[in-house]
Amino acid sequence: MIQKKLCMIGTSGVGKTSLVAQFVHSVFSDKYLTTVGVKIDKKMVAVDGSEVMLVIWDLAGDDDFQRLQVSYLRGTAGYLLVADGTRQITLDQVRDIQKRVAEAVGPVPFLLALNKADLAPQWEVDEAQIASLVAQGWTIIRTSAKAGSGVEEAFSELSRQMLQPKP
Amino acid sequence: MPNRASPANAVLEVLGFALFVRDDLGALRLVGAAPEWLSRLWPAVAAAGAELPAEASPFLENFLIDAGESWAARRRARSGPWVEHDGQGAEVQLEATALTADGQSVLLVERLGEDFEAKKSVLQKARETVIAYQRLNTEMQKKEILLHCIAEDMSAALANVITSLRLIEMEENPAKTRELLGLASRGTEAQQTLIHRVLDVFAEELQGFYGRHASADADLRAVTDRAFAAAAPLFSEKGVHLSAPKADASEMRIAADARHLERVLANLLENALQSTPAGHEVAVRFEDEPDSVLVRVEDGGAEIPPEASALLFSRFALSSLHPPAADLRLHFCRIAIENCHGEIGHAPRCGGGNCFWIRLPKRRAPR
Repeated sequence: MIQKKLCMIGTSGVGKTSLVAQFVHSVFSDKYLTTVGVKIDKKMVAVDGSEVMLVIWDLAGDDDFQRLQVSYLRGTAGYLLVADGTRQITLDQVRDIQKRVAEAVGPVPFLLALNKADLAPQWEVDEAQIASLVAQGWTIIRTSAKAGSGVEEAFSELSRQMLQPKP
Repeated sequence: MPNRASPANAVLEVLGFALFVRDDLGALRLVGAAPEWLSRLWPAVAAAGAELPAEASPFLENFLIDAGESWAARRRARSGPWVEHDGQGAEVQLEATALTADGQSVLLVERLGEDFEAKKSVLQKARETVIAYQRLNTEMQKKEILLHCIAEDMSAALANVITSLRLIEMEENPAKTRELLGLASRGTEAQQTLIHRVLDVFAEELQGFYGRHASADADLRAVTDRAFAAAAPLFSEKGVHLSAPKADASEMRIAADARHLERVLANLLENALQSTPAGHEVAVRFEDEPDSVLVRVEDGGAEIPPEASALLFSRFALSSLHPPAADLRLHFCRIAIENCHGEIGHAPRCGGGNCFWIRLPKRRAPR
C-alpha cells in the first residue's frame, strides 16, 4: 500500500481543520476552534486505480503567535495551502508562506484551496487575483468545508499530483 | 536512570510523563510504570521495558529524527504539541522532549494538561481578535471608498455648476444662457439630492449603497440622458465630443438601481473624458442582447496595457497585487454592477483607445 504525507498549511482561521474534518469524517462545525501544534488524520483514497493512504498533517495556522515549524514538513509528498476567500489578507499571507515552504521542501506538488465558497457574496478575493496565481502555475480550487463542495476534488487532485513521477 | 522504585520515577508517573531510554541497539524502551494515558494510547508499549516502535505515531517518527540530532549534540529538543487519538477516538494532547541525562539518550513524552488548555484558550482569543480586527479594517476601507465616491460626486456636481457659470459669462445668446442656467440649477439640485442621500445612507449604514436591488427598475435611456446632461459642460469645456447612443423608440428596462446606474455611467464618462485628448471623441453605444443590454463607453485615450486591464476594477489598498492608486471610481462601478448581477470589463478599442463595457440584465416583465 502506498502511503503519502500531506500537510495542511495556511494562516489561522481559514478552515484547514474544517476541511480535514469534512474530508475524513464528513462533519462540519461552525464554531472556530484553533489548532495548537499538529493533528494527524489518515484516509484511504483511490487515485487512478491505486489505493493510497493519505497521512494528513493539519498544522497550526502560521501567524504572529505560532510560526510554521519547518521540521513538520519533512517527508511531505505535497501540501494543501488554504486561504479564506472572504479575507483578502489570508491570500497575501499564503503566498508568503508558500515561498517559505517551497524553500524548505523543494518542488513538491501543492494546491490552493480558496475556502468558504459558501460565503461567495462576501468574498474579497477577486477573479483577477485568482487568474494571476493560475498564470503563475498554481492550481486553485474553491472549497466549502461547510457545504462540502470542492473538498473531495481538492484532496483527490493533490493526491493525483503527488503520485505523478517526479520529472 | 530512575527505576520503578526511585522517587524521581514516581514523580514522573504522578506528573503523567512516560520516560523512554534509548538502548545500545537504538530502541527506545519504557522505564518504570506506564502512565494511564499511555496504556489507552499504545497498549503494547505500556509495560516496563517495552519498546516504543517508531511507527506508533507518525508525529513521533518524524520527531525522532530531530531527537537523534539533539542526542548527538547533547542538547535538548522539544517536539511542540501534537494530538493523538486513543482507542475510543478521544483526543490526547502530547509533547515530547529529547535530552541527554547521565550519558543516556532520553525521550520524555508528556500528556499536556491544564497549562496547555490555558495557553490554547489565550491563543484562541488572540486569533479571534485578529480575525475580528481584520474584518473591522476591511469595513473601514469600504467606508473610505464610499467617502471617496461621495466626495467625487459632490465635486463633479460642483464642477458642472462652475463650468456652466463660466460659460454664461461668455455667452451672448439668451437661449443658450437659459440652457446653461438650467444646467447650473440642476447641478445645485444634484448636490442637494446627494447630500440628502448621504444622510439617508449613513442612517441606514452601508447596506443602502451596497445592496438592495431586488425591486430595482431603471430606464437605461433616461439614465443615460441624465448622465449625458450632467457631463456635457465638462466635455464642452475640454473640447471632447460626446457621442450619444443611437436614438431608438424601444424602452430599455434594466434590473438595477437607477441612481447607482447613473453614477456608474457618470464615472465611466468622467474616466473616458480624463484620458481622451481635446478634439477626440468619447462614444457610448448600446447593444441589445436577448437577456441583457451591453453598454460600451469608448474613449480615445492611450490604450491600457493588458496586465493593468486585469486589475482595473480591483479593490483599493486591499491587495498586494497592485498599487493602492487603483481608481476608486472603477471599483465603485464594479460593486454597483455586480450588485445588480451584471458584468463590467475593459477591452482595447479597435483602432486605439479603450472600451469600458457593462452588461446589464434586462428587467423581466411581471407575469
